[in-house]
Amino acid sequence: MTTTVVRAHGLTKRYGSFTAIDGIDLSIDEGRIYGLLGRNGAGKTTVMQLLTGQIFPNGGELEVFGRQPAEHADVLRRMCFIAEAQRYPEDFTPAHVFRSAPWFFEHWDAEFAERLVADFRLPLKRRIKKLSRGQLSAVGVIVGLASRAPLTFFDEPYLGLDAVARHIFYDRLLEDYAAHPRTVVLSTHLIDEVANLLEHVILIDQGRILLDRDADEVRGSATTVAGARATVDQFVADRPVIGREAIGGLASVTIDGRLDHDERVRAAELGLELAPVSLQQLIVHLTGAELAESTEREVAA
Amino acid sequence: MTAVTTESVRVAESSRRARPHEILRIVRLHTVNPAIFFGVPWLILAGAWAVTMVIALIIQAAAGPLDQAETGFEYSWAVLSPQWYLIVVGVQAVSYTFPFALGFGATRRDYWLGTGLMFVIVSVVNAAAIATLLLVERATNGWGIGAGMFDALWYVGADWGTAFYTTFALQLLVLFIGAGITTVYMRWRMRGMMTVLFGGVALILAIIAFLTFTETWEPLGTWLASIGVVGVFTLVLAKALLWAVAGLLVIRRATPR
Repeated sequence: MTTTVVRAHGLTKRYGSFTAIDGIDLSIDEGRIYGLLGRNGAGKTTVMQLLTGQIFPNGGELEVFGRQPAEHADVLRRMCFIAEAQRYPEDFTPAHVFRSAPWFFEHWDAEFAERLVADFRLPLKRRIKKLSRGQLSAVGVIVGLASRAPLTFFDEPYLGLDAVARHIFYDRLLEDYAAHPRTVVLSTHLIDEVANLLEHVILIDQGRILLDRDADEVRGSATTVAGARATVDQFVADRPVIGREAIGGLASVTIDGRLDHDERVRAAELGLELAPVSLQQLIVHLTGAELAESTEREVAA
Repeated sequence: MTAVTTESVRVAESSRRARPHEILRIVRLHTVNPAIFFGVPWLILAGAWAVTMVIALIIQAAAGPLDQAETGFEYSWAVLSPQWYLIVVGVQAVSYTFPFALGFGATRRDYWLGTGLMFVIVSVVNAAAIATLLLVERATNGWGIGAGMFDALWYVGADWGTAFYTTFALQLLVLFIGAGITTVYMRWRMRGMMTVLFGGVALILAIIAFLTFTETWEPLGTWLASIGVVGVFTLVLAKALLWAVAGLLVIRRATPR
């Protein structure tokens, strides 16, 4: 049985005339790792701010643990959300942050936090505003992991982290998630880095949800067909095309949907190359559509 | 549809709306960096004290008439020097810790109650200290050199209780004004601040105009004199509570930057 912890219907957030979140429907189940993906400014942070009651929606319904999150101590107690641009009190050091964290997170594991501090080589006595971007991200990652909140949000946890630190985050999250199952929502635009971590993908663009699917389904859901332009066009004729690149007589077309055995055989007979599409490529295709269109228009003009 | 049944989990709401520890943790949060509430205000007070001492020494060296100097010190505003700074303390308290507390899952209500409790604690500590220093100053005959810093303004002739009460009320008002204005900023940003600022100025002008046209300045003065220093500071305390309540109403829908 699956338990739903977040349920949103027609959720809307406007800033003046700008619609940041445009009536989205969303549901998040307990004990899974969700990827909230999208380009910069797509609305990822806004969604997380709405879910954690930091901002108030302009419309729609929102239930987190069965209640509206804002001002509900019983709901807020179960969540941890360190925003990418989280503000800390003046002159706070990471040591201050970790000292005050257990007052707010009842499952706080100080030992785990200490281990993570060592892993990330985070200077504890340096003021937050003197930290590098990567060190600042590490503070948020450590709070997120050590809080063991039933619903934990990571907002762009990879921002500024070096390759080793990214790997540490990946490892520690999976380890700890296995030992202490919880719901994790991770926002990022560095999709390939987290692709293997995610169990469910929510792709958001310009305040709307483009894709809300199981990660395994998404991984095999698109195929790139490459070969002679005419043959490719013929092969993909009646399929939903989500991306197209062409150089001279060669074309590479990405189609939505799986190919069955017969189709694969036919493609091989036609001399077409089939390649799986990575999560990142798929998302570039899905969210870069406008970009591609505008370039085409420019060329035409 | 999948065969999986989906059930929405609903957390139990605690029967008691206020959990003391959720308010106390906000107080603790404010004390993590004691420089804001205690360090800087007391540094300012110490600085003002040092300046007063130097002035007293200069007067003594110039062999000025000591009794006149003592009267002169009664007009010194040095004792109020840290009080004005508490506006800044109120502003800083909210602007620095509110976004953090909200990020850590505190409710706005608990945040404001905890902050208010912190203001009360700070005001009590500071008022007790200043009232005690007033008595010390009197007992040492102006720190041994006839200097007067605390025995000034309305403190002249006031006993410990009056000094404590008036200082407490004034500090609380100043802290809540600073914090209250910051909550307006947190909720309505610059537009809200400007509205409150111009609204406040307009209100003061309206009161002045009213008092002038109805010629009620004198009765007002008489009335204030009749209620005495303690009465006037009870009005100050009432104003502080008004700001506290207004701040709570504003912060309940405030969003951090």
